[in-house]
Amino acid sequence: MPKRVLIVDDALFMRNTLRDIFSSAGFTVAGEADDGVQAVNLFRELKPDLVTMDIVMPYKSGIDATREIVQLDPNAVVVMCSALGQESLVMEAIEAGATDFIVKPFRGEDVLAVVKKVLGE
Amino acid sequence: MPSASQKYLTLFVAEASEHLATLQSELVRLEQEPPAAPLWDAIFRRMHSVKGSAATLGFSRIVDIAHAAENLIARLKGKQGKIERAEVDLLFAATDALVKEIVKLDKKEEDERTITLVDRLAKAAQALPDPALTAVRPVPPPPVMPAADPSLPRLDVSVVLAKTCAAPGARALIVQRKLKAMGTLLEMEPTPAQLMQQKGGARITALLATLTATDEVREALVALPEVDHVDVRIAPAARPVDEGFPVSPPPPVVSPPQASMRGQLTPPPGRRELTPAPVDADELRPEPTVRVRAEALDQLLDQAADVMHGIARLREAAKRLPEHAAAPLEAEIDRLRRTARELHGRVMSARLTPFSSLTERLPRAVRDLAHRLNKTIELDVQGADVELDRTVIEALGDPLSHLVRNAADHGLEDPQTREKAGKPARGKLTLTARRERDKVIVEVQDDGRGMDAQALRRKAVKSAAMTQEAADALSDDAAYELAFLPGVSTRDDATEVSGRGVGLDAVQRKVESLGGKVSIRSVPGKGTTFVVELPLSVSMANLLLVQVGGELYGVPLHRVLLTTEYDLSARGGEGFEARSLVVMGELVRAYGLAKLFGLPSLAPPGPRPFVVMEVDGLRFAVSVDRLVGQEESVLKPLFPPLDRVRGLAGITVLGNGRPLLVLDPRGLAELCGIHDPLKPAPAAKGAA
Repeated sequence: MPKRVLIVDDALFMRNTLRDIFSSAGFTVAGEADDGVQAVNLFRELKPDLVTMDIVMPYKSGIDATREIVQLDPNAVVVMCSALGQESLVMEAIEAGATDFIVKPFRGEDVLAVVKKVLGE
Repeated sequence: MPSASQKYLTLFVAEASEHLATLQSELVRLEQEPPAAPLWDAIFRRMHSVKGSAATLGFSRIVDIAHAAENLIARLKGKQGKIERAEVDLLFAATDALVKEIVKLDKKEEDERTITLVDRLAKAAQALPDPALTAVRPVPPPPVMPAADPSLPRLDVSVVLAKTCAAPGARALIVQRKLKAMGTLLEMEPTPAQLMQQKGGARITALLATLTATDEVREALVALPEVDHVDVRIAPAARPVDEGFPVSPPPPVVSPPQASMRGQLTPPPGRRELTPAPVDADELRPEPTVRVRAEALDQLLDQAADVMHGIARLREAAKRLPEHAAAPLEAEIDRLRRTARELHGRVMSARLTPFSSLTERLPRAVRDLAHRLNKTIELDVQGADVELDRTVIEALGDPLSHLVRNAADHGLEDPQTREKAGKPARGKLTLTARRERDKVIVEVQDDGRGMDAQALRRKAVKSAAMTQEAADALSDDAAYELAFLPGVSTRDDATEVSGRGVGLDAVQRKVESLGGKVSIRSVPGKGTTFVVELPLSVSMANLLLVQVGGELYGVPLHRVLLTTEYDLSARGGEGFEARSLVVMGELVRAYGLAKLFGLPSLAPPGPRPFVVMEVDGLRFAVSVDRLVGQEESVLKPLFPPLDRVRGLAGITVLGNGRPLLVLDPRGLAELCGIHDPLKPAPAAKGAA
């Protein structure tokens, strides 16, 4: 049973990049959201095995969305996608319950390495 | 004058000054709350301590004043009913006189007034009954750290983060969370905050009290991403918690001034002469401290920085060696560099000074001001024990007292006006200091009338700082910031602008020169808050090195959102003065750094690196010829005439010995014309 991923990013480019990375590694992309509000709604609906979460997004930040998702499901696996220089935001996200993080720009293998570890594979 | 050695004299002056400073705020509290016995005891003890030390050194005038004041305090404590203002004034007079005496200790002057004051103190004391002087209350012991169950085994844990780890602070936080999930984390060094914006490859050591087996702990840590190496072993059983490698943060070398202003009577370490022998002396023994001149610490810091520079130069030199020779040398140099950085960090934290050293004198100042203005003002200081770099503390003194005076004078209404508005007659001033990661936030809040945005707009137009249209276009929140304009804040009668602004421009300049910022929140009728945001320490900077026109520049990394590459020429954008690029789904204005500084750009046409920065929530991008790397360095202020160049923040020395100019993102934003306080901010979206 392939693992199901919810990709959250307000940039289409980033979503496409991540979708390609996950599809080629045998994951199922269960859904995509381009803001924090949509992310929480889709999480509730899809119950994915993994969420990749951008930090700076319109309507609701990735940090707030993470907090709500972890409240919905304390075992949710949320991996933050952050940019260089956003370390303090990442730390805030970890305190909000994020499982782990990756730093942009990333290569596919970096993403998969982190994801496989947090999924315990 | 007694022949006290200079050493003891310095110590006495420092200690007595601390006592007297705290005494002042305690005297203010006497007037504000029904004085309780512990407060009286504290006041008595301070006066007594000053008297005792002065007597040892033979300073008879100080002894006379302190003794007379002490007697008065003892009787006031026993007095039933309200304390008279005149009595408190007299104690203030005694404190002032003592401060004066101490200041001029090395000058050999006689002062007639001392005799008169001692006389007055004595007369006031005689007028009161003499209670049998009760024994001074013992000082409560310092709180003992809640320790983990001593029967649990201790594990020494060492974790090496991957060299490629881009956010070691965040990674360390995940390691910390994992450790906490497995037991009681007693120590961790460096802390996640210390690792922020450092390079990868850091080694973290931790002490964990847990029943979890070493193998299990190791496996849990190895399973984390970006963890290269894990070592877990049982710590030697005999090892007490407070030995071995130092607990972070290291104990401050400078003994902190007396407790906080909120009146917990925690004794400063090493000075518990009035305490009866504690039951368990070993457990309660305070950390030993020594006093060090602040200057000595500054020199140490400079030298630690020099060592770091030296190591960086060594590393540069090692790069030129053939690889088989370079590798082992570089490994050694890296080890040395870690130690040097740690040393630097420790000296930095030894320079930390509590916020209370700034606020100690404020209650007195506010009290005097309130009496002069016929207002009643309650001052509440929160976060007195928050520690700041000494440089920041020193530089913050003036702006802070400015803001407090401003709030007392113009922010708070007189009692009648307040009562009419349905508020308590006593105005409230709240001073708060708190740490947020690598920043310190200081707030000065009043519950007064709030600021008048319309009056500020009028004022700005009148002083020709902006046009009527521009002023009308400002939101109320933006209009409050007009108070920082020189023309608006200083000229004219204060009441017209609802009072704000004696030299607020000076406050802003000072704060910004420290790399901080100040902003205003105000609600009409409810009050105003000035928010000062400062870096925790001012001298270390993480820099992104960029090359433009053949020269290297540093960009403070904490302002850099991200770097990206873009080919603007391909978008037919050449004709525009400023162009835009899409960053994280948002249009961001782009500028050429070479053009801003009037330098030739040596980059060939085509894709070009951009550094995207953020200042006050505004994002903008500047193009550079090349991104060179990252460097952590000690920032030095610019000397004239370079300090007048807009867009430059400071200077630093690179590993190869070459000086490097460091850019000031805020100044750059101004150069780009997107951060002019007079113009409304451009809409972030759709700027092109």
